[in-house]
Amino acid sequence: MPNTLVKSSAESAFLDLHKKLLERGRPALAELQEIALRRFDSLRFPHSKHEMYTYVNTKELAATSFGLPDDAANVSEDFVSRHIYPGCEHQCLVFVDGTFDRGLSRFEGMRADIAPLSEADRELKNYLSETAANENDVFASLSTAFCGDGIIFKVDDNTQISDTLQVLFVSTGRAAAPVMHAPRLVWQLGKLSEVKVIEKFVGRDGGYFINSVQDWLLAEGAGVSFTQVQADVFDSWHFSKTRVHLNRDAKFYSTNASSGTQLARHHYEVWLKEKGSELKLNGISVLDGKEQVHNFVRIHHAAPQCVSRQHFKNIVNGAARSSFDGTVIVNREAQLTTSDQLVNNLMLSDNCHTNNKPNLMILADDVKCTHGVTVGQIDEDQWFYLQTRGLSAKAAKELLTRSFAQSIIQTIEFPAVVEELSGSLLQKLEATDA
Amino acid sequence: MNAETTAERNSVSDILENDTYKYGFTTDVESETFAKGLSEDVVRAISAKKKEPAFMLDFRLRAFAKWKTMKAPKWPNVRYPSIDFQNISYYSAPKKKKQLQSLDEVDPEVMRTFEKLGIPLDEQKKLANVAVDAVFDSVSVATTHKKKLMEAGIIFCPISEALAEYPELVEQYLGTVVPIGDNFYAALNSAVFTDGSFVYIPPDTISPMEISTYFRINTEETGQFERTLIICAENSYVSYLEGCTAPQFDTNQLHAAVVELITLENAEIKYSTVQNWYAGDKETGKGGVYNFVTKRGKCRGDNSKISWTQVETGSAITWKYPSCILQGDNTSGEFYSVALTNGYMQADTGTKMIHLGKNTRSSIISKGISADHSSNSYRGQVKVGKNATNARNYSQCDSMLVGGKSSAHTFPYIEAANRSVQIEHEASTSRISEEQLFYFESRGISRENAIEAVISGFCKEVFKQLPMEFAVEAQKLLTLKLENSVG
Repeated sequence: MPNTLVKSSAESAFLDLHKKLLERGRPALAELQEIALRRFDSLRFPHSKHEMYTYVNTKELAATSFGLPDDAANVSEDFVSRHIYPGCEHQCLVFVDGTFDRGLSRFEGMRADIAPLSEADRELKNYLSETAANENDVFASLSTAFCGDGIIFKVDDNTQISDTLQVLFVSTGRAAAPVMHAPRLVWQLGKLSEVKVIEKFVGRDGGYFINSVQDWLLAEGAGVSFTQVQADVFDSWHFSKTRVHLNRDAKFYSTNASSGTQLARHHYEVWLKEKGSELKLNGISVLDGKEQVHNFVRIHHAAPQCVSRQHFKNIVNGAARSSFDGTVIVNREAQLTTSDQLVNNLMLSDNCHTNNKPNLMILADDVKCTHGVTVGQIDEDQWFYLQTRGLSAKAAKELLTRSFAQSIIQTIEFPAVVEELSGSLLQKLEATDA
Repeated sequence: MNAETTAERNSVSDILENDTYKYGFTTDVESETFAKGLSEDVVRAISAKKKEPAFMLDFRLRAFAKWKTMKAPKWPNVRYPSIDFQNISYYSAPKKKKQLQSLDEVDPEVMRTFEKLGIPLDEQKKLANVAVDAVFDSVSVATTHKKKLMEAGIIFCPISEALAEYPELVEQYLGTVVPIGDNFYAALNSAVFTDGSFVYIPPDTISPMEISTYFRINTEETGQFERTLIICAENSYVSYLEGCTAPQFDTNQLHAAVVELITLENAEIKYSTVQNWYAGDKETGKGGVYNFVTKRGKCRGDNSKISWTQVETGSAITWKYPSCILQGDNTSGEFYSVALTNGYMQADTGTKMIHLGKNTRSSIISKGISADHSSNSYRGQVKVGKNATNARNYSQCDSMLVGGKSSAHTFPYIEAANRSVQIEHEASTSRISEEQLFYFESRGISRENAIEAVISGFCKEVFKQLPMEFAVEAQKLLTLKLENSVG
């Protein structure tokens, strides 16, 4: 067992914490956890020049001594309902400190199976073990090693769920020691099935580390519209890994809107495994103060005629930091691939940082691949022009900043989310300007 | 037109035959070579052999001590067996018989080698207005046009000579752009370099001619460690050309050069390279030169400019990033590159633009062409420091794939810490397709000319930066190299 090894490093604190977890009783996913723990132990926390963490300083996080979430933590229905979007009241899944809370969730009449991950069939179990054993991201390993019992959300073949489903991740925070928790979700979509999902991450109080992992397994022709709203409190760590497998003609459209925390990192790993699959990955982050958001994307084009499009925008103010590290890998077989990747950064202060690494690795010769990055500030001419039309300097700047963000926000197909983001995300920039 | 093109093609074939490496000959010159191996004694021996001043020995020893603590970098996107640094001879020089008075006294065998390479060394070719410091196996054997340059106050000589005659200049600038411990191969170079070129352009001087050096690797298993230092003082300008060929060997040869450029106020350096070293066997990938080069320029003075242009068509492995540190205000850096890989070649090349001063500008145009089984990576960094107000960068890196077994990679690093910056980066990938060529052919244009047209269109922005003769040669070179790869 790796956790019997004596280590004086940051890793050993987590191995000790895992022992405490085992003392609470045999976890539902004990075998999977053990595989992940071994992997965690061999990967170790990234050093400052680690290629996957070039711009992300995880030193402080790794050195923090974490506790386990309190089983008795309860969240009021009122708190939950405040974060449920209109239209999703009857279909929402609620996770409290990483654990699926059946009492707060509502999914009566939903045409999908929701089962604990420990009841996964053999095929899914094999998949989970295999991914855990070959995990490349140490924080995802850590997440799997500590996940309670995640859930499987399964949609049958030919089932289109027209109502939007919301998943709410609540972190209660502020315990004696900072708490680490690890929600885990597996989405299995049958042939020609469709689902629309909004995920929202909120914190009741600071001092927590949410480290989530989810797997999206899309069968032939399945379609997903996926929106993530990261609205944690500043005083927290947010790590997420989203793995997506797309089979023939499957479509996965995703938008992430982040307001940042002291350290937030989103890791996407997507495999376009069969002909004709399509991926859209958009992201917007609006950061101020010392907030950080780091996006790490790996897209594998493994089959011909697939399409992947990425568009990320960052607005950074104060001493905030954002980074984008994305790689599109086009395999030898993946002829006729179309892939584009665009990152736009708007820098509003002298102390903010943006770092970008949009990589392309192309092994097939008949492909269309582009990538682009821009870094800039409010255009003086545009700003001046708006002022000549009677807008105050402040209003003109606001309008330009807003419109920069809108091109991503408007791609979200849920009006309630668009409205919320247009208000909340941009409000904090306006507050600082005044 | 046809007769003319054929004649042209023949002459180009003379320069470089497509399938057999024409420059794959070894000149039979008596050369003095150190036994293989590297130790502090070897470093001291090189320094003693070259009768260097004390500071130089100290420089080498510090670099060697640093090198011993370093590891060969693993991050480049290239694969090769690890190099045994003890299996390389670190010094090889044609035996110095006596001080030469004129070119006639140069070893005729050496002269013939240069002739085959087409270096305009003799009197007649002096009219070509190109001064040549021919580096032959680590030691410069002839320098022409020196007098004319001297009249303008320009110093252009082997760096060993500069160490003897202008030690204070060398001491002042050597290692200021590429510090001894900058990277593994730069540290190695700093410890063991044998020769290279030294150029000093005094203030208010426009170099009357383009300065050029031909590098040539000879003597099997001799590592080449060239060191070039170019200093362009206030209000001066120089254009420097570097071209390379190497003989054919089965054992891989290591080339770890360091080039340092320094511009003072209002100065400008234009540095162009055409590199066509032996790339290894086209079918098996065996042999070829390892080209691990550190090239860096520092725009020290305000309003100065450094421009790199490179056409990389050879070497089994290329690993080089000609960079600009834009330290002074209003300085600008440029990087134009065409990198062609075929056979089993691997290239990981690009640039670094470090913006430190205010109103600094940089532009990057990189064109990668990969054919056969080769792998071609662009790796570039644009970094804007906190005080670099109004920094501006434009990068464009395009890749062209020829054939389904090659690969093209792009790894840009864009790091900004100042809000007033404008950075744009874009990249695209395309290919020469059978359809395009068919279209040309249907309009009566031969396949070769069609390839040439596509390539020249693709690389136009880079070629137009090259001096005329280089541009023509470079374009022909690319076309010839790709001839059997398309379709």
